[in-house]
Amino acid sequence: MTTTRRNLFKFVGGGAAGALLTPAPWRLITDAALWSENWPGIPRPARGEIRARFTHCTLCPAGCAVRARCVNGQPVSLAGVKPHPIGHGALCPWGIAGHHLPYHPARVRQGPVKEAVAAVARAIAQRGAGERVAVLDLRPGRTVSWTYRRAMAAIENGLYLTPGQPAYSIDLAAAKTVVSFGAPLLDGWGTPGNVFAARDHFRLIQIEPVETRTAALADMWLPIRPGTESVLAAALAGETTIAEAARVTGVEEEAVGAVQEAAQSGSAVVLAADPGSPLMSLNAKFGALGRTVVARRESPLPDAWKKAAPVAEMAAAPDGAIRVLLIDESLPGGYVPWSTIEPKLAANAIVVVFSSTSEGYARHAQYVLPAPVYPEAAEDIGPAIDTVAEVFRIAAPLVAPVVPVVKPGEFVAQMAGLPQGDPLRERADAIHKTGRGALLSYADGKSTPAKEVTADDFWKTLNQSGCWMDETGKKAAPSGLGRSVTRLTSHDELPLAVVVAEFNRGGLASPLMSKLERESNLRMAANRVVLSPADARANGIESGGRCLLETACGRMNVVATIDAGVPSGVVEVAGGPRMADLCGASRRARVVRA
Amino acid sequence: MSIDIDKCNGCGACMVACAVENNIPPAPEAANDRKGITWIRVYKVDNHRAYPERRTAFVPVLCQQCGHDTPCAHVCPQQAVDVDPATGIVGQMPERCLGCRYCMVACPYHARYFNWWDPKWPAGMEKTLNPDVAPRMRGVVEKCNFCHGRWHAAQQKAAAAGKREIDAADYVPACVEACPTGALRFGDLNDASTEVAHDAQRPESFRLLEKLGTEPKIHYRSQRDWVREIASAPRPEGKDGLRG
Repeated sequence: MTTTRRNLFKFVGGGAAGALLTPAPWRLITDAALWSENWPGIPRPARGEIRARFTHCTLCPAGCAVRARCVNGQPVSLAGVKPHPIGHGALCPWGIAGHHLPYHPARVRQGPVKEAVAAVARAIAQRGAGERVAVLDLRPGRTVSWTYRRAMAAIENGLYLTPGQPAYSIDLAAAKTVVSFGAPLLDGWGTPGNVFAARDHFRLIQIEPVETRTAALADMWLPIRPGTESVLAAALAGETTIAEAARVTGVEEEAVGAVQEAAQSGSAVVLAADPGSPLMSLNAKFGALGRTVVARRESPLPDAWKKAAPVAEMAAAPDGAIRVLLIDESLPGGYVPWSTIEPKLAANAIVVVFSSTSEGYARHAQYVLPAPVYPEAAEDIGPAIDTVAEVFRIAAPLVAPVVPVVKPGEFVAQMAGLPQGDPLRERADAIHKTGRGALLSYADGKSTPAKEVTADDFWKTLNQSGCWMDETGKKAAPSGLGRSVTRLTSHDELPLAVVVAEFNRGGLASPLMSKLERESNLRMAANRVVLSPADARANGIESGGRCLLETACGRMNVVATIDAGVPSGVVEVAGGPRMADLCGASRRARVVRA
Repeated sequence: MSIDIDKCNGCGACMVACAVENNIPPAPEAANDRKGITWIRVYKVDNHRAYPERRTAFVPVLCQQCGHDTPCAHVCPQQAVDVDPATGIVGQMPERCLGCRYCMVACPYHARYFNWWDPKWPAGMEKTLNPDVAPRMRGVVEKCNFCHGRWHAAQQKAAAAGKREIDAADYVPACVEACPTGALRFGDLNDASTEVAHDAQRPESFRLLEKLGTEPKIHYRSQRDWVREIASAPRPEGKDGLRG
């Protein structure tokens, strides 16, 4: 047979057409598509043994119980623990993505540890009479806080400073009415699961200048002129007339009367954005002390820890007296504006910050030492503002530190020459010794009286899957409600009142928080401000335009959003360390075109 | 699924939990609210009034799992979208998708997202990826599938126990599990004994753009009239003659 050109084409064409009738080409397409799913650059999730581990979130004082789904021991997702009597299985968005923090690209990864140790030792040795060594603990109430206090008691002229810690707890479950002066009750206040579990049983009256997330879901929102809250409080206390309060605050007379009536009806509680605000003293007027506002209870301590430095606030430190300042910023907590700290420092002061982020005090310190992040370090979490029971819970580490870290507690203890030991274990033993309370195991939801387990089992359960609680104590009235707050300085030349409308706890947040900010604009990013149309027009600012937020302390580049829901004379901002430093002791600002 | 808008505080826990569960990467530098990927997105809506009459609500919007004439499935030239007749869940197969984005145009709920970039996580963070979900490549469309990985896991668990039906407690999407306010509920709408079926029958219950007849399987509810009005997207005054 002669092979012609025509035959060749017929063979090839027929072969191709025939191949289409076989599964081969279609299989090839599927395989190619599947291959493209895994081409270089597409990460492949690791596979392995899947099991659950338990810990507690340390990203805020709520300390929610966490169930981590782990693959080969590596946490791949976090969820709340349903049987937890306080957390009720809820986590906030920060907590849900907390397992990403060790790998955060903006994390502080190294620091001059040896130099810092030498500089601190030199400064302590050379300090003059009256010069102080101070620790600023942004999250008081932990076991490591007691290490700081013991260390400061061991050092001459040691000072233990905090941003302020309320001496009371709020029993929301006992409240029928909550009058909130700007407290973000439904957006990060206290323990989210506890708040939402109690929400259906109380009436919420939110008093604040702008409609925040809490105001949006409140039973009654009273838009008030910024800075006039104390006048309304005076009217509620009967110290001024309702008519006068209505005139000053801009709140209608009937609304003020309705709040007064609700607050006096019994089982009410007054909350303030600043837990140390004098507004909290209204609770005494409304008979809330000992009922909905109770004394804060701390879990038992070893007897040897009783010799500890007293708790003080920054205002208590003499000006120019602090020679060495050690700031524990390893966990997000309260923030004292740098303008408050700076006058307290001696001319040649050494400032050492333990932090995982360069956003906060790291901008002002000589030495920034990398601190462990959640969930790398074993820590305990003090009781949250809405925790009435005595609790002790440990955030057991889920991963080993991915960078060399310095544990602030060990650094300070070593500096003060405290005996080596494991303070968490010492405290757990002291709690177990009392025989009080019960141990709750998250793995099976069982509660066992503490006296029925051995000290070793007690410690093991605390580290693996549980917490200790004692709810039997009697509710007592707190000894003090409000502390003297920093007096705001007047800057009337600045036309806008600054209102923090976005809750921001500071510290590192998972890169996935971009979903809530840039990718959806659900939450206000730190570099955004919101203005009323009238104020924007007056300053020639367009929506989405770049501008400068100017205060008495400085200026910041921001992007403006114009919203008719914001009152004239107000600029809404997102909270955080930078904003706290920018505002200082003033709540006034100006926004101008960049 | 049922969503109580009067309970949603717009915290965003559902969005973050969804991204963690489904291996959705953080936004690249150039991403914005139009190019980002959020299988569930909480929109802040208001009553269009100025201060102090302004009132705000938060509306979580995800794939509405349309049950009738599913628009995205109809237009897909690749058959990359299918509706599971057993569950009613609208699935998306990224390996079939060629990235034409017809489905995005067809979706009345803007619940589909295009991958503009290769998925990238910061160094080390890829260790935290969920092994049950494959990351999608650049150039394909993706969307909520009610956490299909969890559905498979529940099926496997049921099969291992020798059961044909899954236990409802074993299959809860990540957003529902994460919602701290209890605004999101999940269950079988065809089972009258479930909470979601009960929610769907409430007088204040509604569905987004119900008039389109796509029979969404997400039932919202709110006591506020203006919220329900927004959900039906009324035609602006004087525009009655317009189409689209």
